[in-house]
Amino acid sequence: MKTDDEKIPRLPDAASEERLLALREEAARSGAVAGPGIWPAGAPFPQAAIGTGAGPDYYGLPVLKKPQWTWEVPVYFFVGGAAGAAAVIAAVAGWAGAEKSLVRDARKIAAAGAMLSPPLLIADLGRPSRFYNMLRVFKPQSVMSMGAWTLSFFGPSSVATLVFELRHDLLPRFLRRALPAVTGSVAAATGTVMATYTGVLVGATVVPAWNQNVRILPIHFAASGLGSAVGMLELMGHDDNRPLLALGISAALVECAIGASIERSAHPADEPLKHGGSGWVVRMGGILSGPIAFLLRAGSSVAGKKTGRRLRRAAAICSVAGSLLSRAGWVAAGNASAQDNRIPLALPAKR
Amino acid sequence: MTTTGFLTDSTLCIGCKACEVACKEWNQIPGDGYAWSGMSYDNTRALGATTWRHVQFVEGKFTSRFGGSAPGQPPAWEFSSDVCKHCENAGCLEACPTGAIVRTEFGGVFVQPDVCNGCSYCVVSCPFGVVEKDLEDGRAFKCTFCYDRQKAGMETACAKACPTESIQFGKLDDLRDRAQVRVLELEARGIDDARIYDPVDSSVGGIHAFFLVRGDPRIYNLPPNPEVPTIYLKPGWKSAALGAGLLLLGTMAAFFSGGQPRSE
Amino acid sequence: MPGLGTSFGRGGATTAQQDLANSDAILIMGSSMAENHPVGFQWVMKARERGAKVIHVDPRFTRTSAAANYWLPLRAGSDIVFLGALIHHVVKDDRIFREYVVPYTNASTILRPDFRDTEDLAGLFSGWDPGQGKYDPESWLYRGSPSKGEKGGHQESSGGHAKDRGGEAAQLQFHQNDPTLQNPRCVYQVLKKHFARYTPEMVERVCGIPVAQFLAVAETFISASGPEKTAAICYAVGWTQHSTGVQIIRSAAILQLLLGNIGRPGGGIMALRGHASIQGSTDIPTLYDILPGYLPMPDAGLNTTREYLKMHRSETGWWANLDKYIVSLLKAYYGEAATANNDYGFGWLPRVTGDHSHLGYWLDMADGKMEGLFVMGQNPAVGAPNSRLERKALAKLKWLVVRDMVETETASFWSDSPEVKRGELRPEDIATEVFMMPAAGHVEKAGTFTNTQRLLQFHEKAIEPPGDARSESWFMVHLGRRLKAKAAAQPSPKNSALNALTWDYPTEGDLAEPRVLDVVREINGTTTADGRPVSGFADLKADGSTACGCWIYSGVYPAEGRNRASERQPQGEYGHGWGFAWPADRRILYNRASAKPDGAPWSERKKLVWWDEATQQWTGNDTPDFTKGKAPGYKPQANAGGDDAIAGDQPFIMHPDGVGWIWVASGLKDGPLPTHYEPLESPFTNALYPWQGTNPAAEKKERAGNAYAREHGDPRFPHVLTTYRLTEHHTAGGMSRQLPHLAELQPELFCEVSPQLGSSAGLTHGEWATIVTPRGAIEARVMVTSRMQDLEILGTTMHHVGLPYHFGYKGLVRGDVVNDLLAISEEPNVRIMESKALVCNVVPGRVASRAVAQLDAAAQAGSQAAAEMDEARS
Ligand SMILES: Nc1nc2c(c(=O)[nH]1)N[C@H]1C(S)=C(S)[C@@H](COP(=O)(O)OP(=O)(O)OC[C@H]3O[C@@H](n4cnc5c(=O)[nH]c(N)nc54)[C@H](O)[C@@H]3O)O[C@H]1N2
Ligand SMILES: Nc1nc2c(c(=O)[nH]1)N[C@H]1C(S)=C(S)[C@@H](COP(=O)(O)OP(=O)(O)OC[C@H]3O[C@@H](n4cnc5c(=O)[nH]c(N)nc54)[C@H](O)[C@@H]3O)O[C@H]1N2
Ligand code: SF4
Ligand code: SF4
Ligand code: SF4
Ligand code: SF4
Ligand code: SF4
Ligand SMILES: [Mo]
Repeated sequence: MKTDDEKIPRLPDAASEERLLALREEAARSGAVAGPGIWPAGAPFPQAAIGTGAGPDYYGLPVLKKPQWTWEVPVYFFVGGAAGAAAVIAAVAGWAGAEKSLVRDARKIAAAGAMLSPPLLIADLGRPSRFYNMLRVFKPQSVMSMGAWTLSFFGPSSVATLVFELRHDLLPRFLRRALPAVTGSVAAATGTVMATYTGVLVGATVVPAWNQNVRILPIHFAASGLGSAVGMLELMGHDDNRPLLALGISAALVECAIGASIERSAHPADEPLKHGGSGWVVRMGGILSGPIAFLLRAGSSVAGKKTGRRLRRAAAICSVAGSLLSRAGWVAAGNASAQDNRIPLALPAKR
Repeated sequence: MTTTGFLTDSTLCIGCKACEVACKEWNQIPGDGYAWSGMSYDNTRALGATTWRHVQFVEGKFTSRFGGSAPGQPPAWEFSSDVCKHCENAGCLEACPTGAIVRTEFGGVFVQPDVCNGCSYCVVSCPFGVVEKDLEDGRAFKCTFCYDRQKAGMETACAKACPTESIQFGKLDDLRDRAQVRVLELEARGIDDARIYDPVDSSVGGIHAFFLVRGDPRIYNLPPNPEVPTIYLKPGWKSAALGAGLLLLGTMAAFFSGGQPRSE
Repeated sequence: MPGLGTSFGRGGATTAQQDLANSDAILIMGSSMAENHPVGFQWVMKARERGAKVIHVDPRFTRTSAAANYWLPLRAGSDIVFLGALIHHVVKDDRIFREYVVPYTNASTILRPDFRDTEDLAGLFSGWDPGQGKYDPESWLYRGSPSKGEKGGHQESSGGHAKDRGGEAAQLQFHQNDPTLQNPRCVYQVLKKHFARYTPEMVERVCGIPVAQFLAVAETFISASGPEKTAAICYAVGWTQHSTGVQIIRSAAILQLLLGNIGRPGGGIMALRGHASIQGSTDIPTLYDILPGYLPMPDAGLNTTREYLKMHRSETGWWANLDKYIVSLLKAYYGEAATANNDYGFGWLPRVTGDHSHLGYWLDMADGKMEGLFVMGQNPAVGAPNSRLERKALAKLKWLVVRDMVETETASFWSDSPEVKRGELRPEDIATEVFMMPAAGHVEKAGTFTNTQRLLQFHEKAIEPPGDARSESWFMVHLGRRLKAKAAAQPSPKNSALNALTWDYPTEGDLAEPRVLDVVREINGTTTADGRPVSGFADLKADGSTACGCWIYSGVYPAEGRNRASERQPQGEYGHGWGFAWPADRRILYNRASAKPDGAPWSERKKLVWWDEATQQWTGNDTPDFTKGKAPGYKPQANAGGDDAIAGDQPFIMHPDGVGWIWVASGLKDGPLPTHYEPLESPFTNALYPWQGTNPAAEKKERAGNAYAREHGDPRFPHVLTTYRLTEHHTAGGMSRQLPHLAELQPELFCEVSPQLGSSAGLTHGEWATIVTPRGAIEARVMVTSRMQDLEILGTTMHHVGLPYHFGYKGLVRGDVVNDLLAISEEPNVRIMESKALVCNVVPGRVASRAVAQLDAAAQAGSQAAAEMDEARS
């Protein structure tokens, strides 16, 4: 179908508004309007069309539904991750006979996270009163089911561990050492899952930005969790602890590697991780918990005692904030990604 | 119980939306609101919590004034009634942590409204963007495949309402054969761009509600190679294990490599 | 439906939708069947799947076009040129179905020498009276048939519905024939000459359809007709709502007669009616000019049944029974009180004194000549033409009763109408007292629907109506009781009719609802002696021994306790045993024509009804529409009357001459043959008759508030406006804009324009446009779509502007009332407005006060222009 569009100049908005005004006047005067007018805005107008050049898609509408998670979910990713890692630190530190206060503080973080997580998850449910249905079935192929079960072991064990620590006088003498050791190890074991499974949770979905990175995400989240746990401990006064420093540095290094790999990727699915609002948040998170945290920590190990501590506290804040940001960023990126029909429809990237 | 299915044949659809309305009436679904889209005659836009059948309107290029669906003509205005695909490997069903989503004796994928707790994990697990959480109700909804009607030996409400047999309900195997025959028929008539959309070779492993459309299926927002997200479980858990291992060993290394606190 | 009535004898679709599945080609024109009759459309799809060619001719590419094999866009209002060209194409090389045409139509009939054709008189037929602005049809009669004097069968005021004028000119059996169709004065030759200039080239220039495409479609349709094949035509209001509506349908009738497609399986003309029982509301009329069964409503001056019968009865053909039907009707109305001595109370019947059609009396209302109005199941504030004028007229009433299921725009005109918003009306100034009466919907009451194919289907009550809602019958029966009580109190002559009226309907239940079956029984007819139901209209008598509420429905309740309308055992492809199709359960009318003159089927493939030598009877797959035992060879005596005067090979038994009418000698007010006239508002001069732009007999009712654009192209209104329906809504919206599941499907009023018009007028897809005509200005969202295509008409590019008309100011979704743009005009035969082809301008942006000001200025200029034109003409 031949249109006389050629005749019509593509005008900037202001100019086309003027032209519209002229048309209205002309119409009011003579009734008839002698074309040409302006382009219909957005012409060729939205068309789900065979061979019209627009598409081939359905009015550019998304193929996928975007995640309907509320803000509680990324916060849970953060809290659960930190708690999980903290439980591991607590246990290992205990075995290694590290100073009591460190073990206790780590256990505090784990327990606090364990107690915070359920309310966060339940708040996100459409029918919170039915949260218990989460344990209605045990379903390996459902990551969320696995997560629910993990949390249901991690929670009690890490809380119990702390309670036993604080009120060991309640326990019969012969259990005072053994019981916390057992619960602590359970918490540590499930803690490793807590710190990683959320990566699988988002990775094993239809959202391109997520499943594209399903291999990276669990490690990314583990590192992020570890970094934040270390950071919290440092902020609780353990800012001259060498093992923690080592952990913090390695976590930051892993974050750097992951950040780099994402930045290097040319895959269109990764766009939301680098561009737009979500991209900004992801990048901020990555830079804070990656390069910056690393430099500060590295710096602290060479600097003098006093500045060293200061640098480590700064690094700690960066890791914690970075971890929180990158969780939020990944969820935001997921929303953006699901809205984009180009991956599911295998359409050429936008010009 | 025999597995039932849908063959939705867009070459027989007249875009009357009777299916969409019949579905909402039978299932007493609330309306989705009153927003004019400007997208041809489609104002409900997509499947969702409150739209379980959705009629799409695709405006083609009018190569000549000698329009209609004359053989050799590109489709000028195509209608297709979209619905939950009732996948052989259903992402939603696999992902549901509460077991709310089940496979019925008719092979359909059914969300049990009395079990769903609105975790919305199915929403990110459907490769066709079908199931959705109703933010007012809190639960996830989609086509039930008229489980209630089928149990009572009735055909589905949408198929019942369709005046032109564009929606064909019946034994899945029969429908699959019928579709093959139909495509050949159309070819013989000079309509050579009719295709069956049924991703049997993808990880979804075929769909019980499949489609016969003209032209590129992507025009109907039908993804060329949908994937059931369970395929990501293996790599996901693998690197989870790796991550967990690193976390544990790394921590041990840090604490056991003699790195004792400075102040003793 | 005089278009079909005058051509074939009955005002109803000649076929059933199921039968479309047997067609070899289906021409859908003036209808978007897939959108507005989607359920019936399944049989069109079936035909298409069986290899039939489906052709849709429509200004817009609609959902029907999408399902069709061929779509041809034509300019709104140019249909007669297209159909005339088809006729021309058939007759020019004598490609008619001769074996059918010669015996079964009046093609061979010789016409009077004093007849002059539009070709001779520059667009007018002989008999035009410029003074009275109407035709004297005397010269249209057959040679040899005596006229009925003065009126020649035509009446002054009444509309054209009455028994579709089948036989007013009576003795049409006295005429001469030329079976060779050679005589230059025979109908066939006159027809040939009349359409000689309706060529494919003319189609290209006037309709905008390229010659090649026209020819291709013409071939498709014509080659699908003959002994072995049949083609059908479906139409609806895309044809009727024109100032030439009836003549458009006539063109289709002529074409189908020439091709031998009437009365045969897969053939016919499927008139797609509107509301679920709109056919019923012409059979048992809500019209002012007919009585039940298409008996004419007597005009003032017709005082006795004798005069009435002289005027309307034909000596030959079925309408010779008119006496039986009118007397039986009077007995049903007045019972005991109707006796031979008082002429069965004929005097009590109302008389037609003028134009009391909807449009006619609404203008009276606007002039303050009416006190009160009942509006039942109608929403004219949205649905009626020039609704702006109609709403203002409501303010002139003393009282208004609206019976509806929802509060419609009509019921709330005094508070919510745009006139109130614009300050043209102020609620405090409106004296009209409005009564809103809640109505029961069809599932809340029992009754019958008569559907588009004359099929009566009874439905039971499913649920009790809510609150104060009551059925129509409840309202009518109880209102009648009260009025009769008043009348009985004061037996003045004025009340004698009311006092004589039988009104003894028993009521039952808590709601005191009348028993609908009693009404069905009364409609079917009973013997006055013992009140037993008659078995069919054959039993009706003119001696007062039978009473019948509607003769064509007689047989629906043939025996005590048997209601055929509620029977549900369909057999055969025509579904006999499911419901009851009038007349006498004949599903395909004039089906005697499905057999050769000798009674054998035209072909095995197309057999329907045939003469069985063994039983000496007509039999077949349908109830024969013919006297069962009348042999094919039967020849009437010279002095035979009634049905005996119809020969054994004359299928159109309602007509006095027993044949289908290619030529309508009597019964139409705007000519014996269709002629192309431009719509009352058109951007173009009439290319065929430059001196006769529009239908001379049509009434413009021009007046302040009902102004028109200048003829021959008004630069202020350059585009052609057409209005239509959307599947998602129903008419004025009371039944769809109130329901979320429908309202959400089309939530806003939009106008459809082509990309070219979109760009040249500066319209923005999805934004607003203002559409202006001399009557009104409304705003709508813009839908730029290539489904709207520009046409080359008479060398200039022409744009259509399309508007669905469902929106109003009440309900879940609202929008401007499109009918504010329409004019109140009247097609001469049925007095319908022209809603399908007018002119407009479209301007970007929402309605501004300027737009309305501009409009009123336009209206001024418009009426001046019209005045000038009139001077110019006289
Ligand atoms: N869903 C639905 N169904 C309905 C109704 C409804 O409102 N909604 N209304 C019912 C009623 S009351 C009626 S009367 C019927 C009406 O049934 P239709 O007549 O099919 O209804 P419309 O859409 O008004 O007009 C049909 C077509 O006529 C075309 N047209 C306009 N002008 C011209 C012209 O000059 N020539 C030709 N050839 N075509 C023209 C229009 O583009 C439109 O596509 O539908 C009935 N069915
Ligand atoms: N521009 C334009 N105008 C048109 C047309 C067009 O094509 N173009 N078409 C014309 C045609 S064909 C028609 S038929 C008219 C239709 O115009 P209208 O008949 O005025 O509009 P409807 O909405 O059909 O009005 C029917 C009303 O009856 C109510 N109702 C339904 N059932 C019952 C019942 O059982 N009892 C009672 N008491 N009420 C009931 C409904 O709620 C509704 O309000 O519009 C005409 N106007
Ligand atoms: S289409 Fe989506 S919602 Fe339907 S069964 Fe498949 S995965 Fe589940
Ligand atoms: S929202 Fe309901 S159906 Fe969907 S996954 Fe969660 S529990 Fe299952
Ligand atoms: S099968 Fe039932 S639920 Fe599913 S779309 Fe059809 S009507 Fe709706
Ligand atoms: S009911 Fe049938 S024809 Fe109508 S839109 Fe749905 S699928 Fe198409
Ligand atoms: S609404 Fe009723 S009349 Fe209209 S198409 Fe549907 S079934 Fe037929
Ligand atoms: Mo109508």
